[in-house]
Amino acid sequence: MLPADCSRRLVAELRDALDACAERQRQLERSLRVSRRLLRTWEPAETPAPQPTPASETSGEAPSPESTPSPQDLKELELLTQALEKAVRVRKGISKTGERHKALSLKSGSAATSATTASAPSRASGQASCRVSETKPPRGIQQTVVPARGLPECRLLSVGDRTRMGRGSRATKPGPGPRDQQIPPSAALQAPEAFTLKEKGILLRLPMAYRKAASRNSRLWAQLSSTQTSDSVDAAATAKTQFLQKMQMTSGGPGSGLSAAAVEAEVGLLRTACSLLRRRMEEVLSADPADCMQEYRCLLTLEGLQAITEQCLHRLQELRAAVVGQQLGPWPVGRRPGASLPCGGGTDPIWSPQLLLYSSTQELQTLEALRLRVAMLDQQIHLEKVLMAELLPLVGTQRPHWLALCRAVHSLLCEGGERFLTVLRDEPAD
Amino acid sequence: MPAHWTEETALKGRGHRSLGRRWRRVSARSVIGRGPSRDGTGAVIGRWDPAAAARNPRKVSASCMGRRRRRVDRGAAVGALPEAIAALSRTLPAGPSPEIFRRAKFDRPEAAPALWQLLFRVLSPLSANGASAPAAQEAQVRVVKSELHSQGYPRRALAQLPEDGSQGSRELLLALAWLLARGPLLERLLAQTRVRLGDEIPLCECEALARPGPPVPRVEADGPVDIRHLQWLMGKLRFQWRKLITSQQEQCALLGKIHSYTRGCHSDRSLGHLSVAETELLRDAEGGQQLLRSLESENVRLEAALHWRRQELVFWLWMDTVLGTCPPEASQPTFVPRIPERGAGEWELVARELQALREELRGAAEPRRAAWEARVGGWGPEWSAVQRASREAVGLELAALQRAWERGGAAAQPHGPCRLVKSDAGASGGPGLRAAQVIEVLRSREACLEAVLCQLQRQCRQELARLVGALPGLIWILPPGR
Repeated sequence: MLPADCSRRLVAELRDALDACAERQRQLERSLRVSRRLLRTWEPAETPAPQPTPASETSGEAPSPESTPSPQDLKELELLTQALEKAVRVRKGISKTGERHKALSLKSGSAATSATTASAPSRASGQASCRVSETKPPRGIQQTVVPARGLPECRLLSVGDRTRMGRGSRATKPGPGPRDQQIPPSAALQAPEAFTLKEKGILLRLPMAYRKAASRNSRLWAQLSSTQTSDSVDAAATAKTQFLQKMQMTSGGPGSGLSAAAVEAEVGLLRTACSLLRRRMEEVLSADPADCMQEYRCLLTLEGLQAITEQCLHRLQELRAAVVGQQLGPWPVGRRPGASLPCGGGTDPIWSPQLLLYSSTQELQTLEALRLRVAMLDQQIHLEKVLMAELLPLVGTQRPHWLALCRAVHSLLCEGGERFLTVLRDEPAD
Repeated sequence: MPAHWTEETALKGRGHRSLGRRWRRVSARSVIGRGPSRDGTGAVIGRWDPAAAARNPRKVSASCMGRRRRRVDRGAAVGALPEAIAALSRTLPAGPSPEIFRRAKFDRPEAAPALWQLLFRVLSPLSANGASAPAAQEAQVRVVKSELHSQGYPRRALAQLPEDGSQGSRELLLALAWLLARGPLLERLLAQTRVRLGDEIPLCECEALARPGPPVPRVEADGPVDIRHLQWLMGKLRFQWRKLITSQQEQCALLGKIHSYTRGCHSDRSLGHLSVAETELLRDAEGGQQLLRSLESENVRLEAALHWRRQELVFWLWMDTVLGTCPPEASQPTFVPRIPERGAGEWELVARELQALREELRGAAEPRRAAWEARVGGWGPEWSAVQRASREAVGLELAALQRAWERGGAAAQPHGPCRLVKSDAGASGGPGLRAAQVIEVLRSREACLEAVLCQLQRQCRQELARLVGALPGLIWILPPGR
């Protein structure tokens, strides 16, 4: 058994590591759930629709009608269906005719009304040719037939009350009324199929409101991140420094300028320093000096490194004295000790993400695997240091079950806990 | 009558337009350098400090505390103080109204709770998703005090405020201004709660480190444990990592699919395909609605932040006056509330490492120096020039090395979160990082870390061999090497 305080510290460290790992796993599981759901067949909309569709028997998903349609609605539905069928025939004609119809519908259509009208502008941008349109079998709205890109609008259409989504179309109320007459230039009456991303993902379009909001968002972030100087910015910066100085002066305290957070940051820097110095030392030691000059240089480098290490140690002592002596409060626990930040943490923080381009899934997998491996190694190194600090002194002292302890410590420290050594007693033969 | 008193009466009587017209030409620069308002008596309760108003060209309506916005459409005029503060509180989470700020200047108790809550939201690193239930008032006060203290807040009056959160609004106002002045607080807060539209991966862990997850309340193992428990925990950790890597591979495969299936759907050409969040928006209208709403509210906050940036000078001048109204601090040491911590473990580790390194360096350098001196002893003066040159060169190298950690100089490392975009290899000129580059960097970092780990393990092996070698009669058979 290990002594109590040692146990407590080690168990705490290991549990920290496990918690960090578990947190990553949780986030990953969440993303996996979402992604898997997206790649499956998309469910029809959940909310009950105001009226059923008479044509729903042709749909693959067989939704059940929620309420009986009124005769007037049915009639209008029929009208719409006929209009759309006619539209298919028309569209099969010359594309120019299609253009004209497009223009017609564009002019006559205002923002509201049928989804297809709204999707016409997007189509007018000259995208691909008419694709197979699909219908989304709603649970009991008129069978909406929609041109290729209009899938999201189609969904709106299917759930009549979802008008808020400002996607450039307003959902038609059940029963489009006289606006049936606006014939969407391209529509095809098709048996509705289930929507899968694989087959029809290319047909998706983002809603207008979202696009606007997103572009505004990125523009604002760019503005916020740009560090342009102007008169007002400089003036404000000056005013800020003056304010801080005044605060310091009026506080009447010793004002050592060292805060607990600053101490923590410096200790982190010294940790990085240590690893950099060590790396340089190993480079020097492993290099074979070819001539006198290089030998001399090696010697000088080693002595210089020694001097720097002394400085660092000295600084560390100073920091310790500052924390203890000036009542800087509890020693900062630190966010997650043990990770040396390669980026230093002090470089210009990037507020909004930059792009990372990858070309294939394998590449992405390699990237992620490496990233996780680096994080894992970081954690392992930290644990290794902690375990070394706690366990090696125990091996030095005689204790009960010392042999078992040695064997366990060896496996933990030297083999990462993966392999064990064997201990044999070397008994004399007699 | 002093000049500013006439302005005061002008404030009472007239609307804002006359003021604006009169001081249109005064630029921001000319206002700097004047001391804080000395006219504490001139401040009438219920109005903004008229003396400050007299100096600052701004449009202040006589009934000053409305949130009415005036367009700053005059030349170089600095905007109104209430406007600036309104922008500030729109940007902050749980930002109080400008009226609270004004009352805080006069240290009114009714302003205190809102400011405690604001500081709590600003300083506590978690609850970005509002997951945790709002903490009790005392707990909030304690957290705010300890966090400010650890960041080095200079004024001690804060620590003396009562824990029921009923007083100290002026001190809290000063604390808020101090936080704002020290660093990019608003940008950091906005970045923490940023709406993530793309599929992001963090390239370096600094964001994760800066924002720790919610502390898990854990029952610490009180008694001594057997080393087998530690071995078990290590094994569990290894297994969890393997599971994590596998899940991550699956997620990458799914992402790749989603990205290629939605090729050409995005309105933004540089992105080219939809992300998971965007596809989800299309699939699930309600969730999408929520996303849109949070996006729009973030836009509002961003605009408020930009507005604030343009107008913050007025706020700083006003804060000078607030500082002026405070009584000077008596210099007695105060008792600082301590939160039990886990000991200076971090410091110990670093100290130990540095000491070990020093010993190793000494062990390497001293014999070499001795050998060198023995060899070079009789060499002539032409040697000394060469020596000097070498010394300088080595000095430069080492200085560069020192800069590397002092300034966090490895800026070549890719940094910050990145949005994943699948694009065919052709795009060599566009903006953004390339996965191949990042992979190279990660590989070198991996090699580095592996070397460090191996070296540590080697050290352990030597140390253990030394410790157990003292006992005869045992044979240690090492496991087959890698």
